[in-house]
Amino acid sequence: MSAATVGAPTAVRRFPEPRGLFLAMLRVHRSALLFWAALVAVAVGALLWALGPGADSAWAEYRASGCGGDSPNLGCDLPGPAHGRYDTVVACASGLLAVLPVLTGAWAGGALIGRELESGTARLAWTQSVTPARWLAAKLAVPALLLVPGTLVITLLHRALWASDSHLQRVLGWREWHDDSVFEANGILATAHPLAALALGVLAGLVVRRALPALAVAALAVMALVYVLDDVRPHLWPMPPGTPVLMHRHPSSHFWPLQLVETGIVLAVAALATAASFALLRRRTGAAV
Amino acid sequence: MTAPGTAPAPAGRPGGLVRTVARTHRTALALALLVLAAATAALVWLHSLTDEARAGHSACATPPTDRLPSCAAVDAITADDTYTSGLSVTVTLLSWVMFPVAAWAGGALTGRELESGTARLAWTQSVTPARWLAAKLAVPAALLTAGTGGLVLVNVWARGDADPDLAGDWYYPDVFVSTGPVAVAYALAGLALGALAGLVWRRALPAAGVALAASLLLHTFLERHREDLWPPVTRTEAGSFELPRSALQVAWADSPVNGVPLTRATFHPESHFWPLQYVESGLLLAVAAVATAGAFVLLARRLP
Repeated sequence: MSAATVGAPTAVRRFPEPRGLFLAMLRVHRSALLFWAALVAVAVGALLWALGPGADSAWAEYRASGCGGDSPNLGCDLPGPAHGRYDTVVACASGLLAVLPVLTGAWAGGALIGRELESGTARLAWTQSVTPARWLAAKLAVPALLLVPGTLVITLLHRALWASDSHLQRVLGWREWHDDSVFEANGILATAHPLAALALGVLAGLVVRRALPALAVAALAVMALVYVLDDVRPHLWPMPPGTPVLMHRHPSSHFWPLQLVETGIVLAVAALATAASFALLRRRTGAAV
Repeated sequence: MTAPGTAPAPAGRPGGLVRTVARTHRTALALALLVLAAATAALVWLHSLTDEARAGHSACATPPTDRLPSCAAVDAITADDTYTSGLSVTVTLLSWVMFPVAAWAGGALTGRELESGTARLAWTQSVTPARWLAAKLAVPAALLTAGTGGLVLVNVWARGDADPDLAGDWYYPDVFVSTGPVAVAYALAGLALGALAGLVWRRALPAAGVALAASLLLHTFLERHREDLWPPVTRTEAGSFELPRSALQVAWADSPVNGVPLTRATFHPESHFWPLQYVESGLLLAVAAVATAGAFVLLARRLP
């Protein structure tokens, strides 16, 4: 019977379309995917090293130089080479997190959207049984789904490091919980900022429709957003009356309220940019959506 | 006698090539001029705030005395905050000129032209590839040198004898870069690295990314090793002493020798500003020269 011979192979391909779109995206942006995997690997490796051997050798060096005891010693303010290495590695890991939003925005504006609209690849895709709205949804969802686990892993490791190196922080610490990079790396902002950058980059790509100008506009928009957020951060949770509104005047118990309010703002920006992107695409492509 | 009307044409080709480069990249040129004008205006305005900022940062007493104003009056002056944050933004911008320059040079200046084939078209229009690359490098290099150099001079003038509490010490990374010739050297190194990345990758976006990454590495590396670029001064004394604020401390050790406390400080005095500037500028210009030579060699090898 022909039904039996035809039925067997077709039954295997159950969700051809979504999977095809997903795989096509991974293949087109494979260098970005590799770059992201490498970035996460470097940050995770750096934090794991700092958690284990890095902190141990920095502390051993500190004790070996006669510090860490009761007698005050001026020389104890200055880190030795092992602490220098530890500091460099931790700064690299949190520096990667700090530049991630700008990189994400620039890539989303340039490579993810701008280049496809400039070269016409997007129009080609829309003829391959992928509607513009589904194309855009995949463009937003796949990078977002890949960004979130990576940033969460880095954040969890950074929190573990922050909890474990308190003895080093006390004697040689220049990093405070409210420093911009520490504050972002220790909470959900490290995940929320790149998501907003992704949405802003996509919107910039759709507005400008050319790769390099979209890249520049997206990078500038993300930098402006991060700058404004760093600036308004101390105002996001009420202080006791009469206290100057400065980040270091907040008690450390304000960490989560400040994080949550800012995350709400950042995700609202992301939602607005996403809605604007879909509206713009719908106007451009007419009834095809 | 030359006939009237056949006056020698003003050297047409170089001028034409320069105009072409300026016209192709007119958006970048307009943006750069806009940033230059805005930064100059901001620095002139910040300079006019200097006295008020000093007053807002002076010593005070509660209740006020004959010599010291009341702390409430000093606190009410906000010019010092504006002055400090304004100067720190312009100083950071000046020391980061390299990054947008490198990304633009890799992406728009060479990468995009090779990707889209505009470069091949230009090479058929009586412009040899080497002259094309020379114009692509020389025009932005001249504008960057003039713009960055001018802005450094305005910055040095605007800071004047600024209070380091308000404007930062000479050895702060961004202050150091933005108050000397090293700012120009960074911009030129970024341009050369970007042009080389564009020629190596021949695609706009990857070239922009690679150029930016290379510049970040170079900038970070030099920032971390700046103090090693000139031999520091060592001062050893019995007992303890303090270095003046203007000294960039490199190492500090106080260990008792035969029961006598001995302090040994290694540092850069402020007079090392110029040697450090020259060495770092020299390194950056060497990087720029090597990258430029690499770009020309690569271009010559690629051609049939």
